[in-house]
Order: sequence, then C-alpha cells, then structure tokens
Amino acid sequence: MKTFIKHIISIIILLIALLYISDFAYTLIYKKSNPRSKLQYILSVEHQEYDIVFLGSSRVANHIDTKVFDSLSNKKTINLGVLGASLNDNLLELKLLVKSNTIKNLVLQIDDSYQYTNSTTMVTAGAVPFIRNEIIKEHLKDNLSNFNQMYYLPFYRYAINGHKIGFRESFFSLVNRKSRVDPKIGYYPKYGNYPEQTASLPDALVKGNVVFNEIVEICKRQDINLVLFVAPYSSKMKNIEYIDKLKERYPNLIDMSRGYKDDLFYNYGHLNHKGAQIFTRDLFKQISKEFN
Amino acid sequence: MLFNSIDFAIFLPIVFILYWFVANKNYKHQNILLLIASYAFYGFWDWRFLLLIIFSTVLDYFLGLELSKEKKKTKRKALLLTSVFVNLGFLGFFKYYNFFIDNFTAAFSFFGQDIQPNSLDIILPVGISFYTFQTLSYTIDVYKRKLEPTKDFIAFSVFVSFFPQLVAGPIERAKQLLPQFYVKKTFDVVKAKEGLYLIIWGLFKKVVIADSCAIYANEIFSKYESMNSLSLLLGAIYFAFQIYGDFSGYSDIAIGTSKLFGVDLMKNFKYPYFSRDIAEFWRRWHISLSTWFRDYLYIPLGGSQGSKWLSVRNVFVIFLVSGFWHGANWTFLVWGALNAIYFLPLLLVNKNRKYLNDIESASLFPSFKDFISMLVTFSFTTLGWIFFRANTITDAFIYIKKLFAFNFKGGLQYLSIERYAPELMLLITGFVVIEWFIKKEDHPFFGKFIGIKIALIFLCIILLGNFSNVNDFIYFQF
Repeated sequence: MKTFIKHIISIIILLIALLYISDFAYTLIYKKSNPRSKLQYILSVEHQEYDIVFLGSSRVANHIDTKVFDSLSNKKTINLGVLGASLNDNLLELKLLVKSNTIKNLVLQIDDSYQYTNSTTMVTAGAVPFIRNEIIKEHLKDNLSNFNQMYYLPFYRYAINGHKIGFRESFFSLVNRKSRVDPKIGYYPKYGNYPEQTASLPDALVKGNVVFNEIVEICKRQDINLVLFVAPYSSKMKNIEYIDKLKERYPNLIDMSRGYKDDLFYNYGHLNHKGAQIFTRDLFKQISKEFN
Repeated sequence: MLFNSIDFAIFLPIVFILYWFVANKNYKHQNILLLIASYAFYGFWDWRFLLLIIFSTVLDYFLGLELSKEKKKTKRKALLLTSVFVNLGFLGFFKYYNFFIDNFTAAFSFFGQDIQPNSLDIILPVGISFYTFQTLSYTIDVYKRKLEPTKDFIAFSVFVSFFPQLVAGPIERAKQLLPQFYVKKTFDVVKAKEGLYLIIWGLFKKVVIADSCAIYANEIFSKYESMNSLSLLLGAIYFAFQIYGDFSGYSDIAIGTSKLFGVDLMKNFKYPYFSRDIAEFWRRWHISLSTWFRDYLYIPLGGSQGSKWLSVRNVFVIFLVSGFWHGANWTFLVWGALNAIYFLPLLLVNKNRKYLNDIESASLFPSFKDFISMLVTFSFTTLGWIFFRANTITDAFIYIKKLFAFNFKGGLQYLSIERYAPELMLLITGFVVIEWFIKKEDHPFFGKFIGIKIALIFLCIILLGNFSNVNDFIYFQF
C-alpha cells in the first residue's frame, strides 16, 4: 500500500505541476501576443483619444462599418461590439477603456439587452487570462459564481473556457495568426440573406437595469457623451412594440429598428454587408448632431 | 455522479481509504462498504430509483434460492418467468412505454382511427438496461443449474449494484463477479496501479477524444441540411470516434476503478476499429453485451446449429433486439437490422469466424489487405452509426443521401462553433496511431518511460480536453 500511495502522490504532484506550467504558459501567450479579441485589444491600448466608441453586441459588430463612419465624420472611431455580448460585458469593456484612454462619445446599442444584467462568456472568457488585472478581477468577482476557482485553481480558467481560450486560440495567439475580425476595425460583416428565421422581443420592459445605470454613471464621471440607439430589425422580428416602450423610458434613444427592407438582412436581427453600409450612413446622419 | 466530475474525484478516494483502512477486517465489511458506496453513488443521481434496484435485488435473490430448492420443472420455469417478466417489465415500462403508445397511436390513425392514449412523463432510470441484464443472467444461470445460488444477500446486492459498473456496464456474469465478493480482498499494488492507468487512459478517451468529437458531430448532425458531403463525412467519422471514446473510455474507468477495490471486471472493448470484418467488430465492440445476447438469446434460439434459414433468423433476432436494447426509437432498430445485413454474407459463406486470430499479433504495420479490410469495415460501421446518431430515420436517410451526393461546394465548411470541421482529424489520426501501437495492451502505460507517458497524457487531457460543458456518457441513456 505504501508503494501505491507514493505512486499516487507522485502522479498528483505531476498533475499539479503540469497545471501550473500550462497556466503560466497560456497566460504568457495571451499577455505577449498580438490581440486577437476586442477585449485583448482594449487591454493593449493606452493614452488614446477616441472621438466615437461603439459598444454593443453583434448588432454593433455586424452593423457599423467604422471605415465608412470615419470617412463621413472625420473622427477617430472604433467598433467594440462583440458577438453575443450583454450590457454587462459592455460595462467591462468600458471600464477597461476609460482606465487609460479618453472617450468623447459613447454610442451604445440597447434593445432587449436592456432586460439582462448578467455577463456572458463571449467577453468574460477573453478576460480571464487577465484575471489579475484589478479592474477585471473586481468585475468578474461580482459576476462569476466560480470566480474563486478561476482565480486560485491553476488552469481552471482556461479549461472551463476551452471553447474560447483553449488550445486552439492559444496556439493561434502563439503563432500570431490574424483574427477573422480585426479588433482595431471591429466591423465584421455578414453575407447572404436568410429571411425564414423568426424571433420575438420581450412582452414587457423590466423596471430598470443596474448595469445600464452604471454605464450612465461612468459616462457622467468621465464626461463622455452617451448616445443610445437601436439597430434595425427585419419584419421577422415579433413584438417590435417593445422598442417603443424603451423609447418612452429613454426619449433620447435613437430608434432605427424599423424601415429597412428584408433583403438587406442576413436574418431577423442582423443586416448583411449591403444593409450595414446603408445603415452606417443613416446612423451617421441621425447622430452626427449629437456628438461632442 | 459522472466519472469525469469533481464529485467522483472526491467520492472515489474517500471510498478507497475507507475500504482499505477501515473496512478491511473481512470480506463482509468490505461488501457492506461497497454496497453503501454503490447506493450513495446511484442515489446521487436520483435516490427514488434506488428502490427499483433494491426490489430487483430482493426478488432475484429469493427467486435464486427457490430455484435451487425446487425440483419440479414447471414450478422452476414459473420462477424463472417471474424474474424475466418483472425485470423486463420494469425495463419495458420505463424505457419503451411511450414508444409503444406513440406507435400504436400512429398505426391506428393510419387506418383512420383516432385514439388518444395517455403517454406518460417517464424518467428513464440510469443504468436500468445494464443491471436488469446482469440480474437476469444470474437467475437464468441458476435455473440452468450452471450456477449455485448465493446465500449471501449482501454479496448478491453488491453484485447487482457494484458502483463502477452499475450505470453502463460492463454487464457482468454472476459466475465471474459474484465469487469475488465471497473472499476478503487483499491489496495488490500491481492491480491497483493497473487500475489507475486504466482510469487515466479512460479519462483521456472521454474528455479529449469523445468530448472533442462531440462538439463537431453535434454541430454537423444538427445542421446536416446545410452541410456539404465533406462535412457530412467528417461528421459521421467524428460520431464514430465520439461513441467509441465515450463508451470504451467509460468502460476503462469502470474496470480501472474496480481494480482499485481488488475486483476484476470483464474487458468490454478490444480495439474494435481495427476489425477486418463486421463479425470481428462485434467480437470487439461492447463485448459484455454481445456475449450476453450470444449466451442468453442466440444459443437458446439454436445459434448456428440448425438450418441456414434458422441461423439467418437468429442473427436478425439478436441484432434487432440489440438495436432495440439501445433505445426506444426506430433508428436503433434500423441500426440493428443494418448490422445484421452486414453480417449476413459472412454467415452465408461461413466466413463469420474468419478472423479469430487477433490483429494484436500483427507486425508493426498491418498488411495492405488487412488495412483495406479495416477501412471497409470502419466505413460500414460508420454508415450504421448515422442511424444510431440521427433523431429520426428520415434524418438518417437524408444525411446519407446528401453524403453520397458528392457535393463539395464550399470546400471546408466553417462551423458556427467557430471551427473548421477537418481540424479534429489530426487529433483522431494521432489517437488511432497510438491505439495501433498499444493494441497488445489495455493502455499505453507499459514498458519504459511510464512517467513521461503519463505526463504526456495528462498534458493532452489538460490542454485538449473539453471541460467547457461536461458531457454525460452516451451509454447512460441506455
């Protein structure tokens, strides 16, 4: 039995050592490599002055062509919309961005995202390699139920987020392979037209959203001009009246949810490239007077 | 409680320590501890269904005793039938009730009769198909006087519910497993190390091979209508390795865990994808179930002893029953029938026992003929897996039709799981090569440099394993 216990102990020590080594190696890779995600990009920039920052989900990432917007506005613009991101994720992006950069105008996309306060792995997974960054640590502590495991157990954060920051992503980071979405530009067009899909917005509007309020607070504190907008939906989106309720609560909200033909859409909630080009120009016309 | 969960990682060392340091006075103490651990293991999933196991245990224990006392043939038969009907009755109710109701309804409506029977919201007790067959083998063996019934109720209870193999086998025979619970187990360091190595290898197969393949296979099978032939081919191959890694990985962990307690379980897989024909495949895949059907169904039906027609009938019976055992869906029946069709030509030309010599004895590389035979067998098996994996028969046929449309438009398709389908082929190829070189053993941890091999496998588990969403073992549902 003694031999076996010694054997087990040596195997456990080997396993723990490998976990620490792997954790160290992955963290080093993400810290030293060129940014492949928008969050990594935010962490890599310092002392920048952005005239316009777009925040939101894929309905920003797929809709706002920053090159077009730059040329129209002559302002330094960045699209930080992330596929599947929630307002909570946008809050983290904002916190990190204002830490060592200056923003004049924040254009925030809200829609049914207003209903939720939780974070998603779409952004938090990308943040966990930098879990020892104070802002990220404080933000994730409040939002992740398994924060302590992520913080203290070696490699746990990478294992549990393997689909986002696992071997594949680490390898691509290590070899500095370019991401499909250039985080400096941030626009990621959809192509094609799949009109058959349908979806529905919520029936009722929630009383309030603490995460949204925090975004508003940060903007006030940092003297950022906050502009709210709703991106277009196709005719396949039901319960569109939900947006009217949102507009009632926030009268300054720029509602562009309607008025776009279905052939400009990839699906019910996302414009295709052609639609995005038109929408970017329309949005510029609508909001240019709002900018500082 | 899943083998690849934190719960099990805590549970197993506790039971191990108690077993060897507290309950090691005699075999009775050891058995009591194993029984409590097994019930806790099962109850962790759903304690209500423990009653079902306890009921089957009590019933078969007393029926076994009665069978040994009873001399009259008719009464003995009645006792056996009681065990068969009660055990299969539970299985039938929990597993097949809704299937039959749905199909009766469909059949009646086909003939213009609308009936509205009550289908029930039934939860399938985990492992019911496995422990039912295990207890049945006991009563059948006692009935046939191949086995003396046990008078040790605790040992019998452990035999029925032994936690390493309770929920997904291997389906043990009383003759092999029960006597191991009549003796005090003394710690054997070689056996324990062997067990540990099997657990590590099984975990690798599960979290690296099966769970990685699952991500791709699920994506491709769920969106097969928009996939080109290349993606569909890869989807089918990934499922073939998912189910193999999943089930053989589970079996390795079960056998390894069992060895830690000094108990030997039967081998369930012998590198089935190196089989050179379908008959050999079925001697290497899920061996405990195949041999169960052989011993308790095929041979009693006459096996291959009667006329050719009888042999053909028997082959179809066991493959169809085996298919149906896997689940209450027509897809499993078609999968069974397809395997019977594959088997049929070999039976008709008396070549079903052609490959009794083990491929394990092959030299460094297989001969060209063997290699082609393996490839062909794997292709047929994979085609069968499409029925096994598809939700409906229609889905399976459309999948196959699109697969053979040879439409490669779009080339390597990007999947919405943010992957290209062929990437995983590298990992699978590596796995196949490793398996080929270790085919004489049960795991790669033998010979020199065992420490380095363990480190490499751990590294693969850490870096390549899928921990994002812990997947149930596929065979838990059966």
